[in-house]
Amino acid sequence: MMPIMPWTDKIYAKNPDFVSREVAGEFILIPIRRQLNEVNSLYVLNETGGVLWNRIDGKRSAREIIEDFSKEFDVTREQIEKDFNSLIEDLLSIRAIEEAPS
Amino acid sequence: MIGQKRLALLPERFPLACQWEITCRCNLRCIMCYTDCFNRPVKIRAELSTDEVLRIMDELADAGTLELCLTGGEPLARADFFDIYGHAKAKGFLITLFTNGTLITEEIADRFAALPPYRIEISLHGLMEHTFEEVTRGNGSHQRCMSAIQMLLDRKLPLLLKTTAMTVNKDEVLAIKRYVNGLGGVGYKLGEEMRPTLEGSDAPGQWALSDEELRELNLQDPALWDEACARQARAGTLTCVSGQRSFHIDAYGQLQLCSGNRRQSYDLRQGSFLEGFYNHLPGFACQWKASPTLQLIQPSATHV
Repeated sequence: MMPIMPWTDKIYAKNPDFVSREVAGEFILIPIRRQLNEVNSLYVLNETGGVLWNRIDGKRSAREIIEDFSKEFDVTREQIEKDFNSLIEDLLSIRAIEEAPS
Repeated sequence: MIGQKRLALLPERFPLACQWEITCRCNLRCIMCYTDCFNRPVKIRAELSTDEVLRIMDELADAGTLELCLTGGEPLARADFFDIYGHAKAKGFLITLFTNGTLITEEIADRFAALPPYRIEISLHGLMEHTFEEVTRGNGSHQRCMSAIQMLLDRKLPLLLKTTAMTVNKDEVLAIKRYVNGLGGVGYKLGEEMRPTLEGSDAPGQWALSDEELRELNLQDPALWDEACARQARAGTLTCVSGQRSFHIDAYGQLQLCSGNRRQSYDLRQGSFLEGFYNHLPGFACQWKASPTLQLIQPSATHV
């Protein structure tokens, strides 16, 4: 049986069919293609979500992103891991990101 | 993360929504059209180039503009339309396209299906060919428009059809509305306003319905009557909000309060959008704008 890889070891890549924009201080994701379910919906990310979205690059693992983030911002590693996990699940559910081959 | 249709919190002044008349070019010569007077070579040559449109569009995106209405003239009459549209999509604008529909082919419909706009609005002037083409003065335009509607419906694109009520089509308005309602999921809008041309001629007004004719028309349909009553109720209480969260850009790069008020402009070929929106637009005159010191009843802002 294959061991299950912890989510923090995974690498995620953005779906290029989502555009991120900052509008009046809000960080939003906009799906631009038909095959996405809610093509006319906006997805609003909080400040932490916006910073994390910008760091998802298809190269670094979630663990590396979390480590960098916790060094730069005054937040516990546990808290950022929890927030990032929740964000990743949300982004996967709307297909804004996908797991990249490691 | 929240999925939503609209942003909740915006400052009182913010450049959220742009209506951009990207050309006065058009393949039709509609009798009531206010831009057709500029549909001639010397004016067309003065319109924004592709590079200029894209540069200004980038400035809008950087400023936070989200809603972008591309209108004309006929936007699809620009040879570079899909360069502009594709760029706007890549920048994340929510795009509404105003079109006469007659230039839409299967290939163009496929392109819209792949990169869907927020909405496409098509002017449907009449159900009967002779009525439609009495307005457009274009042979075959009725058939092409109806085909376009079907192509967009086949691809499940968000569509709204609209009619300007005029002397030449007033007897078909209710039939058009019934037809649109029967399409399912397609919006309908009836316009009553006839604007002077961009050169200042009142010629389009000759096709306008009188108040009594409009009342007679609206009385025949409960939804139209409700809308007319709501407009009446709002009259006298509205002030104009153009320039607050919305603005207009014409085919030559002039930033204005709205398409119905072009008395003052800021030239986006010469200056930046941020400078124009924040430092010039607030000072532009509008007869419907509320005076900061006057709390009396204001006239209806019918030009918005």
